[in-house]
Amino acid sequence: MRTLPNYSLHRPTTLKEALELLRTLDMVKPIAGGTDLIILLRDGVIGAKHLVDLGRIEELRYIREEGDAIRIGAMTTHTQLLRSELITEKVPVLRKAAASIGCVQIRNQGTLGGNLCNASPAADTAPALLVLDSNLTIASAEGSRSIPIGDLFTGPKMNSLRQGELLTEIRFQVSPAGSGASFQKLGRRRGLGLSVVNAAAYLEVDGGVCQEARVALGAVAATPLQMHAVEEILKGKQLSQKLIEDAAYACRGQVRPIDDIRASAEYRREMARVLMRRALTDAWERARRSPR
Amino acid sequence: MEYDKILKDLLRRDDYLVVGRSVVRADALDKVLGRAKFTSDYVPKGTAVVKVLRSTQPHALIKRVDTEDALKVHGVLTVLTAADIPGHNQIGYALPDQPFLNDKKAHYIGDPIALVCAEDEYAAVEGMDAVEVEYDPLPAAFTLDAALEEDAAQIHEDGNIAATTRIRKGDTEKGFSAAEVEAEETYKTPHQEHMYLEPEAAYAVPDGASKVIVIGTMQSPFLVREKVAHILGWSLNQVRIIQALTGGAFGGKDDMGPLVCAKAALAAVKLGRPAALVFDRDESAAYTPKRFPARISYRSGADSSGKITAVDVGITVDCGAYANRAPFWLWRMTAHAAGPYAVDNVSVDGRAVYTNKVFGGSFRGFGDPAIHFAAESQVDRLAEELGMDPVEFRLRNVLKPGSRTTCDQILDHSVGIEDCLRGAAEASGWEGRREPRRRGNTVRGIGVGCAYHGISTSRGTPDWSAASLILNKDGSFTYRTGICELGQGSPVGHAKIVAEILGAPLDTIRIEVPDTDSTPNAKPTHGSRGIMLGGTAAADAALKLRQRMVSVAADMISCSEDDIDLREGRAFDRRNPSEGMSFKELAEELYVRGVSPGAYGFYASPKRFFDPETGLGVSYSAYTFAASVVEVEVDTETGQVNVMKVWPAMDVGKAIDPLMIQGQIHGAIAQGMGFTLMERLVVEEGKVLNPNFKDYIIPSALDTPEVAETIIVEKPYRHSAFGAKGVGEPAIISIVPAIANAIHHATGLRFNTLPITAERLHRALRRPNT
Repeated sequence: MRTLPNYSLHRPTTLKEALELLRTLDMVKPIAGGTDLIILLRDGVIGAKHLVDLGRIEELRYIREEGDAIRIGAMTTHTQLLRSELITEKVPVLRKAAASIGCVQIRNQGTLGGNLCNASPAADTAPALLVLDSNLTIASAEGSRSIPIGDLFTGPKMNSLRQGELLTEIRFQVSPAGSGASFQKLGRRRGLGLSVVNAAAYLEVDGGVCQEARVALGAVAATPLQMHAVEEILKGKQLSQKLIEDAAYACRGQVRPIDDIRASAEYRREMARVLMRRALTDAWERARRSPR
Repeated sequence: MEYDKILKDLLRRDDYLVVGRSVVRADALDKVLGRAKFTSDYVPKGTAVVKVLRSTQPHALIKRVDTEDALKVHGVLTVLTAADIPGHNQIGYALPDQPFLNDKKAHYIGDPIALVCAEDEYAAVEGMDAVEVEYDPLPAAFTLDAALEEDAAQIHEDGNIAATTRIRKGDTEKGFSAAEVEAEETYKTPHQEHMYLEPEAAYAVPDGASKVIVIGTMQSPFLVREKVAHILGWSLNQVRIIQALTGGAFGGKDDMGPLVCAKAALAAVKLGRPAALVFDRDESAAYTPKRFPARISYRSGADSSGKITAVDVGITVDCGAYANRAPFWLWRMTAHAAGPYAVDNVSVDGRAVYTNKVFGGSFRGFGDPAIHFAAESQVDRLAEELGMDPVEFRLRNVLKPGSRTTCDQILDHSVGIEDCLRGAAEASGWEGRREPRRRGNTVRGIGVGCAYHGISTSRGTPDWSAASLILNKDGSFTYRTGICELGQGSPVGHAKIVAEILGAPLDTIRIEVPDTDSTPNAKPTHGSRGIMLGGTAAADAALKLRQRMVSVAADMISCSEDDIDLREGRAFDRRNPSEGMSFKELAEELYVRGVSPGAYGFYASPKRFFDPETGLGVSYSAYTFAASVVEVEVDTETGQVNVMKVWPAMDVGKAIDPLMIQGQIHGAIAQGMGFTLMERLVVEEGKVLNPNFKDYIIPSALDTPEVAETIIVEKPYRHSAFGAKGVGEPAIISIVPAIANAIHHATGLRFNTLPITAERLHRALRRPNT
């Protein structure tokens, strides 16, 4: 293990200051909770002369319902998500994903924006936010833009943000009646687990017919993956256990897992099927409990 | 003296005051609040930083170590190599195969070559990068098979076999011909890393020119002193070792304590200023000893009545780069090869083999989890072949008073395995759970494991311990033992033994930290000997002091010594309890009269003997027995195993503190689960790829099962205080086979190789024939 290299730490209290620092400083990185970044810096995987700590920017920490949308500030911690009545009541799928991350200390420190921007293929909030059809607000000193969450991930630990840009907000629509969503995770142990595979599913059901389907998997490719081809199998069809089996089975062909220290590609491929079936079954069950 | 009869014979009481009752330890609150001080908490700013420069090669001649550029780095104070060692550059515990700093050859990736000493971490790291080591790579042997090939790379001068063992008892050929059923399998057990909360650390301070003080994390202050003196070429009394509270040890710090303390001491002496060496997690996980991996070929047979007729075992232990404790480890596996059963015909051959990997070393259970995994899988197989219930089969073979062990040792008393097994089976409702229970994609099964573990070190080595006790003038006591607090609480157990004998309130006995300048040599805190040996030395000290206290008290109140009782900090006439005095008054009287208020306790184990030719003899003076029943739930879609509940039972001789026994058992269940189900050190071409908590997975609190109240069986051992036997290691052994046997019960699959990861189980469920 190496020692953490020297860097200058900047601690702005407004978004504007932060964006200005990111625009002007050389070799600069934003740091949110730091639970991943500090390790990468220490191991020399990435380098930075300046770190801009976003931890004091209160305007980036919020969970709000506005109209039929839920908006979450990027610096919201996992613990804040877990403790939010709004999330617990209206977005249990995101709550479950956030609850499965690391341990209490990591959840106190780690943020939703950090979990996404770190762009780990195994990020637990990513599949949940993918099936919620989330949009992200990306800000820079020049202005801001909005992208679908799927456009954020470009590779393992790589995101599409340009130099000087920050993810500031995650937002999605409140799920309508008749819908249900589920998050499933397989780790090598029950606590403190990194996902070997994770999965999320969202279904809108009317009269037993699948009106909308969104499914996503993590740790089975270079990025968290939304499985559009699998969604097509479900949409417009009468839901049945057989249909769910077929859709889950189709995941096997859509994933591109690797062998690593945690699992083999073949095990991941098979677990993608198992977890997707469980996610779809659970989402369907939840949809049935919340009829239109 | 029969130490198990102290209560009646010497204290003349029928009931215990503190022994056998659970107490909340005085150190518990400080530990959970983070107030307890561990080694690195003692290191002040301005202390020189020591870092170990390690080999990047698994096997290579060292041509040159160039420190010139490193010495030019701003902040680097010195770089020490083998040439700077004033004493002896050899630190192997069992065999002289392990240089302290390597100057001729690197034996594994991580072999120490130099110590970089600097003003701070940054300079030390820069200094490390600037040292140039020129290697001449040699062919390396990474596996047992590669190391055993005829033209294999020679890792040490005398070949790749570091040690061998053998047992010949009875006639195995005759035994197998009497067998109705047989089982023959090869078992493999992996590395296990200790992953203690506190990595290795030492802080050394020169005390004038001819003495050095070292504060460190360790299990044996006197072994540390010996090794530090050996490296420095000094006499023992020039080295003062203080054991700081140790944040987990499990055997690992028995091996590493001396190695780390000696490095810090060498640096401090050479620099003439305080120096500290604190390992980080990667260093601790990649380069320090692990549980020795083993390969066990096992053939056994039983007759139609369910009696085991013969056992034939071949054991190969993978030492890694150095033998370290492998000869002792191998012997323990050899001696326990048949499990806690009476078997007349036994043949065992063992060998320990070098490979170019991180070396193995001491770890809770010391080879017994591995050999019991094999033995208990075999026992289940034989029972299945005979169509007999696994518990019933075991009951027909377990050791009983009067039975002979694998080494032909007669166990005349303190043999509680039958009670343990019956107790665990009954508590778990074994009879009613003989059918696996399926529900959706899960299936539940139940398994049993038995174990025994010889306490303390093996074979003929004399075994003894010592302690000291002082009655202070105010009636309080100062107790000293070299037995270390590692989290397990042995010294608190000693204090309870002292409190029982002296009738002193527990909070009036202060346990001092082990300090080789003032603490008696208790020998190491290993082999589960802390209570059995160390606690009996404490009893000896307390009995000696008690005698003087009783004598003075009797004289003061003019009664017979036989009538004096000590209780609640008072000495009094038991016929007339108001006639007496406080310990304060009594202490003052001892001091006034010139009666020694201090006692040195010493206890030596009964003599043992051992025939190296047949392996027969008395290898251990006492054995702790254990049985566990485990229920698992297997997810047949993912291969995940959920350990649902454990019913543990243990013959502890006498429970000094039931709560501390529970503590050991709960911890051991988690550690045993890790070994059986998930812990997997990935070593490729000699390099450890997962030296961290992220990728080396140990069970989390959420993975731990419900644990039924421990069934405590008490078959007192005659030669230890109140009859107590060791608990720490025996707690882990039976868990390992019990989980594996439960998985078999649930799925019909038997695994001969550990760990049984979800992925392996999943694969096997898909292809049940492999």
